[in-house]
Amino acid sequence: MILKPRLQDIKNIGYYLGKIIIGLGLTMVVPVIIGLVSGEINPALDFIIGLETALVFGLILTKLCFTEEDLNWMQGMIAVSLSWLAAMLLGAIPLYLSGHWKSYLDACFDAMSGFATTGLILVQDLDHLSYTHNFWRHLIMFIGGQGIVIVALSFFVKGLSGAFKMYVGEARDERILPNVIHTARFIWLVSITYFILGTLALASVGIFSGMKPVNAFFHGACVFMAAFDTGGFAPQSQNILYYHSLPFEMITIVIMILGAINFKLHYHIWMGRRKELFKNIETRTLFITVMVTFFIVALGLTQLNTYPKVMMLLRKGFYQLISAHTGTGYQTVYAAQFMREWSNLSLVGIIIAMALGGAVCSTTGAIKMLRIGVIFKALLEDTKRIILPERAVVVQKFHHIKEILLEDNLVRSALLITLAYLLFYVLGALMGMFFGYPFLNSLFESTSAAANVGLSCGITKTTMPAALKLTYIFQMWAGRLEFMSVFTLIGFFVAAIKGK
Amino acid sequence: MKIKIPFNIALGITTEVLFALSIILAAFLICLALMLKT
Repeated sequence: MILKPRLQDIKNIGYYLGKIIIGLGLTMVVPVIIGLVSGEINPALDFIIGLETALVFGLILTKLCFTEEDLNWMQGMIAVSLSWLAAMLLGAIPLYLSGHWKSYLDACFDAMSGFATTGLILVQDLDHLSYTHNFWRHLIMFIGGQGIVIVALSFFVKGLSGAFKMYVGEARDERILPNVIHTARFIWLVSITYFILGTLALASVGIFSGMKPVNAFFHGACVFMAAFDTGGFAPQSQNILYYHSLPFEMITIVIMILGAINFKLHYHIWMGRRKELFKNIETRTLFITVMVTFFIVALGLTQLNTYPKVMMLLRKGFYQLISAHTGTGYQTVYAAQFMREWSNLSLVGIIIAMALGGAVCSTTGAIKMLRIGVIFKALLEDTKRIILPERAVVVQKFHHIKEILLEDNLVRSALLITLAYLLFYVLGALMGMFFGYPFLNSLFESTSAAANVGLSCGITKTTMPAALKLTYIFQMWAGRLEFMSVFTLIGFFVAAIKGK
Repeated sequence: MKIKIPFNIALGITTEVLFALSIILAAFLICLALMLKT
């Protein structure tokens, strides 16, 4: 029997949702300051409107739904999934007001793409977008990559138990430190430290390449935010191709890999346990899958002799591969080149890499390395069981911070999420095919959206059907939250209708 | 202890960057092998 939700459930969800909306609204202060400092008054006004709207909604929700009760698991999950939808709707307001998006749906598409760290874009004339709006595009990637709830947890939410439930709901199932708020703050420490180092490195390359210092630092900060949070937005429409710089590409590759590492692993390495990097199942799996998928891509590219020189093969082939595998979506080839110049084998290699993703508790999306490692270990265990005598006791372990016994519930959970992602990739591809796009293109774009990558083979355009835009928005949202929060929200609505 | 933490962080960052560079190097070797083969 399904129980109808109580009024208290709605109050709890509304109260925490209101707090998160206020937190989100306050982040718009940053672009307002940038707009005022750089003399972009109109864009600053767009953000003041967005900020006011968020504050009004947030304050109404917190006043109407005021409660002192802590969240339970269901409420936490629903608050998170609704927060991401609210973030999209509110974050899209200043974007739409800029006039660079043809419709509010297009602005919502880019806002969800930003928050979910995907990188697919529908913006028009990006090269003439104001600094203020451009900065906001990258800031939402940073906020989304860290986790919208992480942002709120760090400053606003006091109850530890409710905070942890929302933290888990946001597909962060690992506590780095015993206290979830300290965990959120450590995630910020890593990100800010790398932000300073990464921006300095990218800006230095920009200055040496002839960019003005202010512009170089602006581009450095924006590209760092989108690369570390494995997002894929860039300040110019040509993406990373705009810079035509090998050092710039090398630095972004390093940043993308750093962004694909588990924050828990960052913590242990930073605390002096550096061997952990080489023993951990996630980094080992990442290394192996990157090499295997790159071999497939490179083999496909050499078949057609697309890039006849070693350095070109590395610059073009490996760059797109690592961008796909880490879920970033930075491109140094045009979307049309994927279909015209790359062989089907290379594209399949990129699709597999996109589908796999980076580490859990990192900023990447997709199936993730821990699950792939666990499934592989389970396969190994079952093979051993068949080969060894029946009486032999087979015990399989894996190393993730500590030695962990491979238990059935771990394998089941890894397989379920993997299956959900695979289904999602295929369903999105079917939608693409329904609207008349070829199979490989549809699968490429669908995997890119659901795995929060952002590489495009050309389907994502303002002219694509609105239903396909909505499909990709749904894929980006559910893929980023790893389904459970979204399934809980759907279950909540079913209970509200059918429950007793 | 106060000195050890920033020192460990600096070494940690270096280790992570070296790990990323080792991935690039391994990819370069794959490129080289494929180019020599063809």
